[in-house]
Amino acid sequence: MSAGETLFLAGVDCAFALAVPLGAVLYLRRVRVPRPPVGTFNGRDIAVMMGFVLALPFLYLALPGAALPAVLGLVFAGGLTVGYQPIVARTLPRWAAILALLGADLTSRLLLGGNSPVYWLANSCVVGLIVVSATNLNVQGGMRLRNIAWFILLLGLYDLTFATVLPLTQRLADAIQGYPFAPSAGLRIGGLGAVIGMGDLLAYSLYTTAAYKAYGAAGLRTALPLVVVFGGLVPAVTPPVVGWLTGHTPSLVPAQVVFAPAAFLGYLALRRRGPERRMREYLATVTLPAPVVEPAA
Amino acid sequence: MIEAGIRQVRVALAMVFGRPVNPRLVERLIGDALATIEEFGAPGDDVEQLIDGPFADPAERRDLQTRALQRTARRLAKRSVFYRERFAAAGVDPGALTPDSLRNVPVTRKADLVARPRDFICGRPQMVTQTTGTTGAPARVWVSRYEIELWPALIALSLLLRGEARPGDCMQVNMSSRATAAVQEDVEVFRLLNAATRVVGQVPPDESLDHLLDTAGVTPTLLSGYPSYIGQMVSAARRRGLGPDDFRLRGVYLGGEVLSPALARAVRETFGADQVADTYGMTELLPVGGRTCRHHHLHLDPNMGFAEVLDLETGEPAEPGRLGTLAVTPYFPYRECMPVFRYDTRDVVRALPERLDCELAAVPAVSQVLGKANRLLDTAAGLVTPRDVAEALDELPGAEWPVRYRAEVVDGKLHVTVVAEHASPVDVTERLGARRIDAVAEVVRLGPEEARALCPLRCDLEEKTFVRGAA
Ligand SMILES: [Zn+2]
Repeated sequence: MSAGETLFLAGVDCAFALAVPLGAVLYLRRVRVPRPPVGTFNGRDIAVMMGFVLALPFLYLALPGAALPAVLGLVFAGGLTVGYQPIVARTLPRWAAILALLGADLTSRLLLGGNSPVYWLANSCVVGLIVVSATNLNVQGGMRLRNIAWFILLLGLYDLTFATVLPLTQRLADAIQGYPFAPSAGLRIGGLGAVIGMGDLLAYSLYTTAAYKAYGAAGLRTALPLVVVFGGLVPAVTPPVVGWLTGHTPSLVPAQVVFAPAAFLGYLALRRRGPERRMREYLATVTLPAPVVEPAA
Repeated sequence: MIEAGIRQVRVALAMVFGRPVNPRLVERLIGDALATIEEFGAPGDDVEQLIDGPFADPAERRDLQTRALQRTARRLAKRSVFYRERFAAAGVDPGALTPDSLRNVPVTRKADLVARPRDFICGRPQMVTQTTGTTGAPARVWVSRYEIELWPALIALSLLLRGEARPGDCMQVNMSSRATAAVQEDVEVFRLLNAATRVVGQVPPDESLDHLLDTAGVTPTLLSGYPSYIGQMVSAARRRGLGPDDFRLRGVYLGGEVLSPALARAVRETFGADQVADTYGMTELLPVGGRTCRHHHLHLDPNMGFAEVLDLETGEPAEPGRLGTLAVTPYFPYRECMPVFRYDTRDVVRALPERLDCELAAVPAVSQVLGKANRLLDTAAGLVTPRDVAEALDELPGAEWPVRYRAEVVDGKLHVTVVAEHASPVDVTERLGARRIDAVAEVVRLGPEEARALCPLRCDLEEKTFVRGAA
């Protein structure tokens, strides 16, 4: 990998690692998502989420190639309509926007191919929006920074295991890249390429948003640099550095292996400021813009 | 989050299909609700659906009621000697009952329960509770361990979700200690809510006030008792010059007797409580209960039992607007140990139209209880209810609560004898006249014993202490 390629990869990864979490924080400040009458996030939910993470790759690999984009497209459409219902309350404009976005993703992939920057921008847009809304469903559902720090630590261990002991991560990365609705963001221009997984973006986004909810501006000041440096920059520059040191360049460094310890230390540092703010305490500090009201038909 | 969702679905399914509800499941759901409120300060969206329960849906109600009645009747036919005989004598097939054919089953009266208690028992008795009304021999009702565990859990969940009780609260219970089920229920409800209770009983009212003022331990934030006894506490508080700033009460729950607007206002003003709730509950009907809305309707929980208003004249289901007695059938699986079927409370209410316009409109309602059927006053000018008289007399100037009176009809005319220190007969006739009730009034000054003999009230189930006697 040339210096230029590494620079491109690091730049794009950092940009996504910055933009998506910031989008999620903005959403948290401006939009209230509905929540069930009874229920708040707890440690058991982390176990369930981890179960999903464990099962998902097998599902991806088990589905026939043509079925995967169809399934992902449906899931994304559902996720977008749930997540953006509070912003675009009217059904028709909301679905029109969602279908336009997914349509752009699909057609650019089919017409221009998997190396087209148009496809990558459209797909990144879909993935980013999904991550922003999924983050808020969780954080506004009562997920705490403590939950997320542990979750990310488990993810790191998982990634480490599958990258070193079982070569599933690489197979998976190969299997899902470049599909319409691939669960990853990135950019390809000419010979340059950068990809960042949707799961990684979700982890960064959850971490940043929960830190902001729990500790306000101080939380954001801690979380965001950690995300950009250990989520965007370090995983991108590690392979060439390792290659330069050892003569053997690893094709992929799972980002969570780098990010998880940093994130956990960040959480420990923030925890010294006191207990995490609860959602009710957070809500007492923000004034929401006037709610979007469904106009009478 | 996911577990809480699954538990909600499991409880809802048990309610819809009439399966016994595991009290542990409801207790864990209370834990979920406590965590939710801890995090968010309030339950989430659409909490009304969870509070109102599946029977609140008018489209489903009829079908759910039919199945619940059949389920309850089938079990009674199998396990209750009394009802096996009764269904057979009436030629009723329990499995084919509908809300309409229910009228073929004769109502059950308190006298039946008093006469043949053994023949009502269908389950494993664990605790006995008895009625505390002022008329006749008390009925004893046995409850099972399942009932003792389930009822408080369901009540705690609904109090919590409605925001009426929360962790850190303290409920002072001034009910008669003979109402064991109700007292035990309160203690358990507040334990489940991480809140406290002070079971005080009907001790001299000044001692109850001392409890309300006590800052050691947890100071009461909620209070429950009978209107006549709480009325005595209001009078005692005013004598001592105590006012809203002296108390920490947020809510007062009154039931078991007619609560007049005048007394409710006095309770609110004296104790500084935002909420003065007029609740309906009867030992024989447990766990069916009712709440009064701002429009003075009595809304009975349709999930726990079937309520009917039986026309005073015909005994058939009353048309909206007509007076009748309230008859209630608590459903299995909520009532299981000593159940009753079509229990005629003899409480007179007015049947109301199905569609109401109030904050509890999702829950079916009747009018507030107007009095016991045998206390209705049939005057030449029309029926006068004990509530009419009590509401008027509670407004007397300088009224000392509870106001005691006797009302009777002589030659078609209402005669009211009121025990009062400061009011005149003209005050009485004026207050009644304002409600278009024409009456002959007499005001008497009586000692406590004579006043009680004239008009016994639940506050007379008093409990002696040595506090003042020994001094
Ligand atoms: Zn009402």
